[in-house]
Order: sequence, then C-alpha cells, then structure tokens
Amino acid sequence: MITKKICMLGSFAVGKTALVQQYVHSIFSDRYLSTVGVKISKKNLVLHDQEICLVLWDLEGKDAYTEINISYMRGAMGFFLVADGTRRETLEIALNLRTLALNLTGPVPHCLLVNKADLSPAWEITRKDLASLREGGLIVLETSAKTGLGVEEAFAVMAAGHGADGPGGNIPRGGKE
Amino acid sequence: MTLTAGPPGSPEAADLHAAEQETVFSAQTPAVANTRGPLGPKDEELQRLRSLLFQREIAFIEDLRASLANPAAQAEQVSSVIAEALLLRSRQDDRLSIALEPLVDSIVRDALRANPEAFSSALFPLMGPSIRKSIAESFRSMLENFSKSMEMSFSCKGLRWRFEALRTGKPFGEVVLLHTLIYRVEEVFFIHSATGIDLMHVVNEGVDSQDANMVSAMLTAVQDFVNDSLANGKAGDLETLQHGEYTILLERGPAAYLACLVRGTPPANFREQIRSCLEHLLMEYYLPLSRFDGDTSLFAGSRVRLERLLASRYVDEGQPLPLWIKILLAGFCLGLLGGSGIWKWMDYRAQEQLREEERERHGLRQGRYASIGLLRGEAGLSILHVEPDENGPWEVFCLKDPLARDPLEVLREHDIDPSAFLFRITPYVSYEPDIVRQRVQKAILPPETVSMEFSDAGVLSLSGTAPMEWTLSARQTALALPGVRKVDTGGLADPRTTQLMSMIKLVEGTVVEFPSGKDIPVHEDMPKLTLAVETLVKLESLAARMGMAASLTVFGHADATGTDKRNYEISQARTKTIAAMLYARGSSMPIAMYGMGADYANREKGNVEDQASRRIEMRIHLVRAVNPENDQLGK
Ligand SMILES: Nc1nc2c(ncn2[C@@H]2O[C@H](COP(=O)(O)OP(=O)(O)O)[C@@H](O)[C@H]2O)c(=O)[nH]1
Ligand SMILES: [Mg+2]
Repeated sequence: MITKKICMLGSFAVGKTALVQQYVHSIFSDRYLSTVGVKISKKNLVLHDQEICLVLWDLEGKDAYTEINISYMRGAMGFFLVADGTRRETLEIALNLRTLALNLTGPVPHCLLVNKADLSPAWEITRKDLASLREGGLIVLETSAKTGLGVEEAFAVMAAGHGADGPGGNIPRGGKE
Repeated sequence: MTLTAGPPGSPEAADLHAAEQETVFSAQTPAVANTRGPLGPKDEELQRLRSLLFQREIAFIEDLRASLANPAAQAEQVSSVIAEALLLRSRQDDRLSIALEPLVDSIVRDALRANPEAFSSALFPLMGPSIRKSIAESFRSMLENFSKSMEMSFSCKGLRWRFEALRTGKPFGEVVLLHTLIYRVEEVFFIHSATGIDLMHVVNEGVDSQDANMVSAMLTAVQDFVNDSLANGKAGDLETLQHGEYTILLERGPAAYLACLVRGTPPANFREQIRSCLEHLLMEYYLPLSRFDGDTSLFAGSRVRLERLLASRYVDEGQPLPLWIKILLAGFCLGLLGGSGIWKWMDYRAQEQLREEERERHGLRQGRYASIGLLRGEAGLSILHVEPDENGPWEVFCLKDPLARDPLEVLREHDIDPSAFLFRITPYVSYEPDIVRQRVQKAILPPETVSMEFSDAGVLSLSGTAPMEWTLSARQTALALPGVRKVDTGGLADPRTTQLMSMIKLVEGTVVEFPSGKDIPVHEDMPKLTLAVETLVKLESLAARMGMAASLTVFGHADATGTDKRNYEISQARTKTIAAMLYARGSSMPIAMYGMGADYANREKGNVEDQASRRIEMRIHLVRAVNPENDQLGK
C-alpha cells in the first residue's frame, strides 16, 4: 500500500472543497474544522495492481491565499492547484502558489485544475492561456465539481505521480493513465 | 452589630437594615420617637432646632444612609468603579489574585463538572498545555486509581449496576466492566510526522476503529495547529489531548510519533512505555523513516511492538482496601483537591525545571538512538543490544563482518562524537549483499574488463572479457564464498576463444586430396595442407595457454576401386602424412588416425576412380587440462 498526502491549493471559492467532495463523497466529521481549519478526506484506489491511498488535505479559510501554511504543506507528496475558470485572477494566484509550494516540497507531482467547466461560456480564462501553460510543462485539466467532469481523471493523474518534473517537463496526453 | 448577623446581601440582612433605618431616622414622626422612651423637653427643643437648621442636610444624610444600606443601590455604585478598583489593587500587590484564586479554581471545576463536553471542545486545542500546567499527570492518575478503588467498597454500587443493566438491556457483566474499567488502551497509531500518514495502527479487541489514515492526518493537523497558533516555539509539543473519558497520549520522535487512544486513566508509567516503544521503532525503522515515500508496507513488522501497548486494567473487586488505608487516602485526596495551598507547595517552577531537564535528557536519548539507527543502515554491522546509560557512554553490542566499516568511523563521518558509545564487537560472517559483493571482489580480483553483478538472491553474474582460466578459477573461488549461491559466467568471453574457434574452423574445413594409390597429396593441395598443419601447431600452444589440451583425429579415405584390404591400408597411410608433418614441427599433439577404406567413397557412378573420395579430413578435440595439484586435493 502506498499512501500519499495531497494538498489542495487555490484561492477562495474556486471549488477545492467541492472537488474533494465530488471525488470522495464523504468527509470526515466537520466538528474539528472550526478549530483546526483543515478538512481531511481520503480515497483508496488501485493503479497498475498497486493499492494507493490518497489522503487529501483541504485548508479551510478565507484569507492568506497568497501565502502558504508551512505545516500544512509539510510532507506533501503532491498538490492540486485549483483555479476558477470564471475568475481570471484565481489563475494568477494558483501559479504563484505553485512556485511557493514547490519551494517547500521540492519537485513533487502537481497539476492545475481549472474548475467550473460547466460554466465555460462565462470563463475569463481562455483555452489559449491554458495551451501556453501546457507548453510550459504544467499539467492542466478542466474540471467541474458540479457535473463531475474530469474529476476522476484529475485524481488518477495525481495518484499515478505525473507532473513531478516542474516547469519544462512533459505533459501526458489526456487524463486517465 | 446587627449588620454582622448575616452575610451581606442575604434577604435576612436586608430586613434588619430596614428596621434600623426606621428607628433612627424617622425623627419627625412623634409616634415612632416615643418608642425610644421619654425625651426631656431640652432634648425636644434641640431636636426641633436641629431639624430647622439642618433640614436639607438631614434629608441628604438619610438618602445616603438609605442607599448605603440598600444592597441593590450599593451594587450599582460598586459596579461603576469595580473594574478600576481591581486594576488599581492588582497594580499594587498580588493579594487580589491570591484572594480570587480559590474562587476561580472552584468555579472552573464546577463548570467542568457540569458540562465537560462543552469545555473540552472549546478548550480542545488548549488541552494539552493546560493539563500539563495544572497538575502533574502522575498525581492525577494516582488520585483516579485511589478513588475508583474506594468506590468499589460500597455495596449499593452492585445493586445500582444491576438496575442499570436492566434499564439499558446490556448484560450485567458489560455494565460492571464499563464501571470498573480503570483504563484500556483502545488504539495505537504509529504516524509519520511530516506527512501525517499512518504507518501502522493496532486496535484493542472489539474496538470500533475509525479510518486510521484520517485519524492520523487529523491528529497531525491538530498538533500543527496547536504549534502554529499557541506555542511560538516555546510551549513545546502537545503531549495530551483529552475528550470526555478518552485521552490521547502523544509521544514524539524526530521522524515519527505514537498516539495512544486510552479510555480511563493509564498507570503513571504508561508514558514511559510509549516512549520506549517509540525509541525502539525509531531505531528499527531509521532508514525506512528517513526515506519514506508513502510505502507503508515496510512498517508491517512494527505491529508486534505496538500491540504490546494495548493493555487494560480493571478495578479488582475481590480485595477491598482495609479501612485505615481508605481513611488515609480519603484524607490525601481531600488534601489534594481542597487546598490550592498544596498546589502551591508543589512548587510549580521546580516542576517546570524538572520537566525541562527531562525533556533535555529525552532529547539526548533520542539523539543517541538516532545515531544507533544510523549504524543500523551499515552493511555488515548488526546491532544486537543497546545498554542505555543515563550518565555515561552507552554500551552497544554488535556483530561485525571483517569487511564492514568501523562503527566509530561511520559516526565520525556523520559528525557524531563516538565517545558516547562503547562498542562490544563480535566478528561474524555477514550475508548482506553489499558485504558479499566486497568479499567476492577481494577473493576473485576481477580484471578491469570484467564487471560484477550481485543479486540479493546470491547470484553472482560476471560479464565482459577475461581469460578463460581466470574465469574458471574465479568461478570456483566465488562458489566457495559465504553468501554466493550461484555463479553465472555466461556473460564472460575470452578474446582468445574466438581466435581458437576460427583456427578450429580452418583446420576442420581443410580437405586434402590424393592421387590414386598414393599417400602423398595432390600437388595443388599442398599449400592447404601446410597451412592446416601450421595452424594446428599454433592452436596447440594457444589451447595450452588457455588451460586446455587439444587432440587431433585424422580420417583417411580411399575411392571405391580396388580391394577393401588395399583401401584400408592406403587410407590409413594417408593419415600419417599429417602426423609426420606435425611432429616435424615439434608438436606433441596426440593424434588418432583412422583409415576408413572406401566406406565413405562416392559410389554414385559405381566403383570408379574418384579423386574427391581419396582424401583426409581432420577433427579437433579440446579438453580441460588436468591440474595435477587439484587432482591430489581431490583425493
Ligand atoms: N458551477 C459550479 N460551481 C462550483 C463548482 N465547484 C464549486 N462550485 C461552487 O463554488 C463555491 C465555492 O466552492 P468551495 O468548494 O467551497 O470552494 P473552496 O473555497 O475552494 O473550497 C460553492 O458555492 C460551490 O458550490 C463547479 O465546478 N461548478
Ligand atoms: Mg473549502
């Protein structure tokens, strides 16, 4: 069994919690949240005959999204950057967070989820933006926590450990491994 | 006088005030004045004069008195200045806090008793440090154990439990168990500090286990939170979390920590047990911990050790305590609970200091265990036993292969002062792949052209190019070494082998033909024959250098004409040509010569003269040269 700690990063209301909820279906008792401020959920999956357990850390809160909580990132073996397609500034925040996070974790798998794909007519982030990010070596997936689009794939990409190369690395085509 | 009859503020006291007020200050009403007994005419005049002169003042004083005597009004007045007053006083000296302390103590205790749930969740992140500060854990558990034991002697308990069993429908035994439980270690988590990932997790019988991985991540998050928001690096790590009847004891190491979920109050030495368990785990899993990449299967072996922590104890109903002990204990408990004076007496700061020292010692010990952990990763070194000594170097008993590095040297390499340890070394032969590889290397001295692979299964694979005689002896040597199960030399080539093979090919491909009835070859085949013979001479010496002996077999043939007898004779005679030429060149190659007559003649056209049938052919055999010394050893 391989167990991986994965963090959800991104600015407020981009859908981090919703994505985790969509993927995991249930969440640990909310009682601690107000004090401790982090939601922990987990999901078991099997990949290439290997059992993998993803322990997902989702930070609660409304501010300080331009900083990173060091103890929250400690030991993370991967992270998701989540942006809201309908708000352009969330993409910039996500890219900033990427640099900060990589400084803390070293080269670990990570990918950008541009969420709220169900609202894509209202998107401020364009496909062209995303294409140039992909060219830079970042794995970019479009998701919707509402319809579930791309969610399974995103977590499978993470479980498979793709996207550890940092800027300049290669991008796998499509979602599922 | 009357004022002191009851505590201020009680209804009784208020009535008394009211009575007094009427008697003294209702001077204008003669009826009331009369109750005070007869007054002289002078007095009356004075009184009248007084009321004339000071009418307003008297009214004012009356108001003042009234308000002073009225608790509600008093409260209102005090309320307006109480904060300032408290502030003022607390700046002057600490008597205020001394006066308030027992009060606050009892208030908090009452509130906790009334609603422990609310408090524990409100105080949740604060729990650890506050518990640590309030009272030494050992005292608490002593208290708990004593009071539980005492309770057992009341026989009405038994009845009440029976009733509870009836009411709740639980078996009586279960109710008793629940009530007599002193403590039970329900779950133990072995958690990787950095990631919060659960490495191993054991539960007591019948425990409903939550998802271990989430619990451990949660615990880690809680501690992070406490550290981030409260500690400022000073308060130290969280040691205990309490929730209702459950306590989580945390014991931290550098790379991992243990969390024990305990119901009830564990014995005072339980913390020590956890600590020693953790220290052993840190040592045993030093490498997997420092290289942790999420693979938890490497920690499967920790289960046994963790399971030893799953203990429980129940109150022993069979032996009630003797009366005098009960009285003594009751006195002791009351003393502990009642007087904050006793708390004072347990000089708080001295305790803090002790804790500080303990923490330091603990740190030192962890450091030493970590150093030993380092050595555990060393090939050919096996740590058997460590004798930790609080005041001196630790004795470390170990087995060491002669090829393993000196433990002192390893420690020095990591900038660790080796004088903290005394190594007691017993030599042994290690089967660890790293050591076996070194052992092979030393024994067979492979030339630069050979590369070595050694598998964990004990298979030595050699590849590259090397003289065959080296290969043979290396093979024998290696097979005799401890730890080598198989030697695979398939990947080794001797450059001379190809040379040898081409020589053999040349010789065996040479066919020399003869004129009818002659044993001298036809003229045009003479160069071929010479070349073959010269090659044979070279081949003989090359094979000898490679530790082999070559032997030659020559087949002579005749054509189908003539008698069989004649054919055998002439074919035999033809083979001798080769032998003569070889020996003339100083060769001592053994030669077997066969005259085959016309057995292999071409008979297609009947019994005709056929030059191609009158020929000799050669075959070469190579055998490994017998080493006379080895032969003797064999006997
Ligand atoms: N339409 C749409 N709404 C979403 C999606 N994901 C999240 N939301 C909504 O966005 C809001 C913020 O989501 P939340 O998960 O709490 O964001 P977080 O602060 O990043 O954890 C919520 O009202 C969600 O219902 C999505 O994919 N599509
Ligand atoms: Mg959220």
